[in-house]
Amino acid sequence: MSSLPVWPVLLPLSAALLAVLWPRRSAWIGMSASLATLLAVMLLVSQLIDQGPLTHAIGGWQPGLGIALRADSLAAALLLMSSLVALGVGWYATGYFSSIGRQAQFWPLWLLLLAALHAMFLSADLFNLYVTLELLGLSAVALAALGGGRAAVEAALRYLTVGLLGSMAFLAGVALIYARYGTLDMLALAQAIEPEPAAWTALALMSAGLLVKSALFPLHFWLPPAHANAPAPVSAALSALVVKAAVYLMLRLWLDLFAPALNPAASWLLGLLGAAAVLWGSWNALRAQRLKLLAAYSTVAQLGYLFMFFPLLMAQPAGAARDAAFGALVLMALTHGFAKSALFLAAGMIQQRAGHDRIEDLGGTARALPVTTFTLALAGVALIGLPPSGAFLAKWQLLSSAFALGQWLWIPVVAIGSLMAAAYMFRVLGYAFGPGDAVRHPLADGREEIPALLLALVATAILGLGGALVWELVAPGALQLEAS
Amino acid sequence: MLFAELIYALTGIGLFVLGLRGTLLRRSLLGRILAINICGAGVFLTLIAIAYRGPGLSPDPLPHALVLTGIVVAVSATALALALGRRLRESEDE
Amino acid sequence: MMATQLWQITDLLLALLALGLGWAAVSSRDLKRSVVFFIAFGLLLAIIWARLRAPDLALAEAAIGAGLSGALLLSALRDEGETAGVDDIQRGPIAALLSLLSIGLAAALAWVLVYTLGIADPVRMADEIAAQISNSGVTNPVTAVLLNFRAYDTLLELAVLLAAVLGILALGPARPAYRAAGPLLDGLIRWLVPLLVLTAGYLLWAGAHAPGGAFQAGAMLAAAAVMLRLGGHPGAGLPGPPLQRLLLTAGIAAFALVGIALMAAGHALLQYPAGWSGVLILLIETAATLAIATTLAMAYIGGRPVGWGPEAPTTKTVHNEERN
Repeated sequence: MSSLPVWPVLLPLSAALLAVLWPRRSAWIGMSASLATLLAVMLLVSQLIDQGPLTHAIGGWQPGLGIALRADSLAAALLLMSSLVALGVGWYATGYFSSIGRQAQFWPLWLLLLAALHAMFLSADLFNLYVTLELLGLSAVALAALGGGRAAVEAALRYLTVGLLGSMAFLAGVALIYARYGTLDMLALAQAIEPEPAAWTALALMSAGLLVKSALFPLHFWLPPAHANAPAPVSAALSALVVKAAVYLMLRLWLDLFAPALNPAASWLLGLLGAAAVLWGSWNALRAQRLKLLAAYSTVAQLGYLFMFFPLLMAQPAGAARDAAFGALVLMALTHGFAKSALFLAAGMIQQRAGHDRIEDLGGTARALPVTTFTLALAGVALIGLPPSGAFLAKWQLLSSAFALGQWLWIPVVAIGSLMAAAYMFRVLGYAFGPGDAVRHPLADGREEIPALLLALVATAILGLGGALVWELVAPGALQLEAS
Repeated sequence: MLFAELIYALTGIGLFVLGLRGTLLRRSLLGRILAINICGAGVFLTLIAIAYRGPGLSPDPLPHALVLTGIVVAVSATALALALGRRLRESEDE
Repeated sequence: MMATQLWQITDLLLALLALGLGWAAVSSRDLKRSVVFFIAFGLLLAIIWARLRAPDLALAEAAIGAGLSGALLLSALRDEGETAGVDDIQRGPIAALLSLLSIGLAAALAWVLVYTLGIADPVRMADEIAAQISNSGVTNPVTAVLLNFRAYDTLLELAVLLAAVLGILALGPARPAYRAAGPLLDGLIRWLVPLLVLTAGYLLWAGAHAPGGAFQAGAMLAAAAVMLRLGGHPGAGLPGPPLQRLLLTAGIAAFALVGIALMAAGHALLQYPAGWSGVLILLIETAATLAIATTLAMAYIGGRPVGWGPEAPTTKTVHNEERN
């Protein structure tokens, strides 16, 4: 039993308390905590590579009676993504919020969000997952409303209402599972779940809740306004991390926990909705007038790609081919996390300097903010899926698997989606490089642009060139619940 | 299966669906919040119903703890939703 | 036999009443009436919890589910003022389709549940908890689960409360206060508030061996705060902002400090050493009671009190962000 899985949760949680107690120091506390959390995650990952999946039985009780934390390679990959993105976005946030008062409002909620994410990735108890879902949802809503403007509050309210319905459905599924199997421990359940009405219904309920929270078409309507109107660092976290958490839970449920009870044909529904999401999201991104709205619709589309992996994964037995596809899914999710956060941060930078984010009026941005425009371009490369980004490898693998399994439908969707992504990103860059005088307030401190750039570099260069490494880390050991 | 267990579990399902339908159909925020709370109460009722083991045996305490947690989470969410609603109304008057 | 049938009739009546009140709360077009039905529903639910041998829940539901939720909703109604009232429920073909689908969903869920209960083992975790309870440091099984076996859930739940209240505080200043109470209400409050505080203290202490615990005690204190505010005290009896910050974080802080100290001593997170469980649980529960009370009271107050902290710009003066 390892004590490392505790720290990625406890560190941000304790720091949130400190940020409430010392509001004037909140940014300092927040950044130190993000750094410390990243270190803890890195320690955890290195121990994971040495020893295999790590568990921690909280309270020393047998899981089932008590709650266990569990870190396998999938959790580790997501922990790394979230702590790195949080560090980058947090750094940006220290420069973004102008007043100490706003900083003092932001940091405690931000740290609670981070704690919720990490708690979710590490949890091995079904009801505990529900509680982490609620913590994630409430802190995300509170952060989304921080701008205070009418549009932001309205979008945050819709996000809250919709999210609560999703949580209720999830809880109903958990209740059904407990009614049938008498335990909430995921390891025990992985052995116990059989193909029967209770399992199918519970999965349906939980999936319905999670699909709302991951904004899969057609349940995506709440996402664009919420992400577009939140403050830029919040939008970055919402698109890059929060929606991913729901997708992570879908993965855990479909491929891990409920796998014995499922017919692979069921995953075609997810794939089809994913395909629709890619097309619908990309189309709306193309039509968007505002940069942040474009980014939000792009998230809808990119999540669609993730769901298109489901039928591919479920149609294969466990083995090298499925591991490769799974690694691609994770790589895609990670790349999107970094790229989208970079995009939102760049958009925030532009909005602050130009006073608005209307795409057609962004002429001259490239001249005034070259680093930020470069960040936009890099993020675009990763979102389109051009080499050397991680998304390129992932999409390539997606196409290979689709070809190998004879699931032809996904191939044109990926192609069209990527073309549309190219179109909407080039449209933005076209205006940015065009003539004009959009940026009124010159950049006082060039260092503000660095975090976004670093995030984009990770997406485009590091994940792409190091893609094989990620593959190896994640794929074989990832879905451990069945194996143990 | 006990009569009490059955009756209350079914009532819980009824409330869950009532709340679900209510959230989708009501137009005002307050109405939707009420409906979501009823929905949650339905799930809680089903959980406590299955925890009941009759007058002779003491009930299963685990669902009791879960529902207690759920009640607190529900009131937190309600409070936040109402505060957001109030802010929205105020910004309309601005 | 007679007794069984009486119970069955009672259960049937309670169940039908619950459905009826729930239906009324959800379907009533007058919002004021809906809220009142909802409060009544909460109290009925408390009775049902008592019937189902869940006294801890009955206390919590009455205090939090009916009481505090009701207070929050009534406050929201008051804010709406004249504009509150008739709520349009959507009619038309979509609504009809939705109602049809709901009936179908209810039927499907009911079938699955009945079938499942028929084949499931009714014991579930009950025996295991009963076996381990002597090692938990308390004798109330619900407290044992909440503060020992599944303490991590309680820790995160306190974080949920904190997130909600931080969100509320960030949205704006507190609601306008009520005018000072007249002599009758004032006298009543002078009696009730100390009684509520005493009851809270009792519930906290008794939670280890009888129904009660941190949540119920915290809710009692919050009820006292609500009473004070309704009686015209804008601060609702809470101390000044610096101490408020401390109280808000006290519950999670207690959990975190105990947890980290135990880990430093070589235990797992929140693994209480033998013999210390009872004391540590009481310690954490006391801090949690104060935190829960403060959080619920501040949520009721609805916003930042005067002197809360460094001011953030209001919407109009927020620069660098353009509203569309």
